[in-house]
Amino acid sequence: MTRAPSDRQRPLSPNIQIYRPQLTSVLSIGNRITGIALSAYAVALVIWLVAAAAGPDAYAAVDAFIGSWVGRIVLFGGTFCLFFHFCGGIRHLVWDAGYGFSLRAIYASGWAVVAASIALTALTYVVGAILAGYGP
Amino acid sequence: MIIRSSDEVPRTTVLKRFPVPRNFGVDAASRINRGRTWPAPRGATRIKRFDVYRYDPESGQNPRIDTYQVDLDDCGPMVLDVLIWIKNTVDPSLTFRRSCREGVCGSCAMNIDGTNWLACTKFNADLATPATIYPLANMRIIKDLVPDLTHLFAQHRLVEPWLRSKSPEPERERLQSPQERAQLDGLYECILCFCCTSGCPSHWWNGDRFLGPAVLLQATRWLVDSRDEATGERLDDLEDPFRLYRCHTILNCTRTCPKGLNRGKAIADVKKMPIERRS
Repeated sequence: MTRAPSDRQRPLSPNIQIYRPQLTSVLSIGNRITGIALSAYAVALVIWLVAAAAGPDAYAAVDAFIGSWVGRIVLFGGTFCLFFHFCGGIRHLVWDAGYGFSLRAIYASGWAVVAASIALTALTYVVGAILAGYGP
Repeated sequence: MIIRSSDEVPRTTVLKRFPVPRNFGVDAASRINRGRTWPAPRGATRIKRFDVYRYDPESGQNPRIDTYQVDLDDCGPMVLDVLIWIKNTVDPSLTFRRSCREGVCGSCAMNIDGTNWLACTKFNADLATPATIYPLANMRIIKDLVPDLTHLFAQHRLVEPWLRSKSPEPERERLQSPQERAQLDGLYECILCFCCTSGCPSHWWNGDRFLGPAVLLQATRWLVDSRDEATGERLDDLEDPFRLYRCHTILNCTRTCPKGLNRGKAIADVKKMPIERRS
């Protein structure tokens, strides 16, 4: 004896919970997360500038945080976010012009964004260290 | 690793799914419970475990995951063969759509090991152990692996996927040059299995208003058709913050298309058309 289907709403099959992370979706969400992070870093930049304008005591407090190891990690993350979002943005610009849509190009440009953002971050710190007098 | 065509299976898996809670944003009626585990057939030597999404609308229960031990020596090489084997020898209540068993009808589209593909053209040998089989992602489920596609077909109808012409009916066929006909290559082959739309995160979050890659590919197919005379009206209908421009070029669609069509390229071309007609 079959019963009539209940009138409860049909279940929604899982989406983000089960879908395999792929370079396409991971870089897309990465571009968004770094974009949101950069907005926060822009606020931090303003705080730094306001502190500099407010006087030596305020500036020293902010500078102490930036110099602490937590501050350095935050700053390093900001550098990576900046380059990741920058490279991802260029990739999106090329797409918006209608180029680079073959699957091979999608993956090649995707890995290029990952590699370039890591390389540019490293380069920034190497150049920074040399300019600061840590170099050979 | 560089993927060259959509049927390539990645050799390494860093994450099988995104690190979000299992019930992340899931309403109470859609939560998935642990189902029953079916025993392995006696005497089988080559056994593979399949975890399959089940939902019985008559039970009043939530969806569940049933575990089947499949005798690979006793069934064909494809995922569809496994499903038919389960239905024939283990559990006749397992429900799924299938028809052509050769990748031209699009009925057996489902989420296999985390990506959408046709069960009839997916090799068991390419699956992880245990293999996971879910219905197409982000669909209202009628039963087991059968999704309700009403909304997607309604979106398809919205782009009026037929020839619209204003000129008087011709005496003979509407002819095209080989070059004009070539414009339709890569577009007309779509079988409307909706693997792409179901794999599109933008359609997950805005599926009520965003048309999704399958329907936008069909829109492209009629926009570039040399015989169609409603290009302007079609673009007017598409030029909308949601219908077309909710595509954020994530490109899961191009990665997952079982027919190897480049949906991302087609949508990018359409995005340019409303701008180009102004200049």
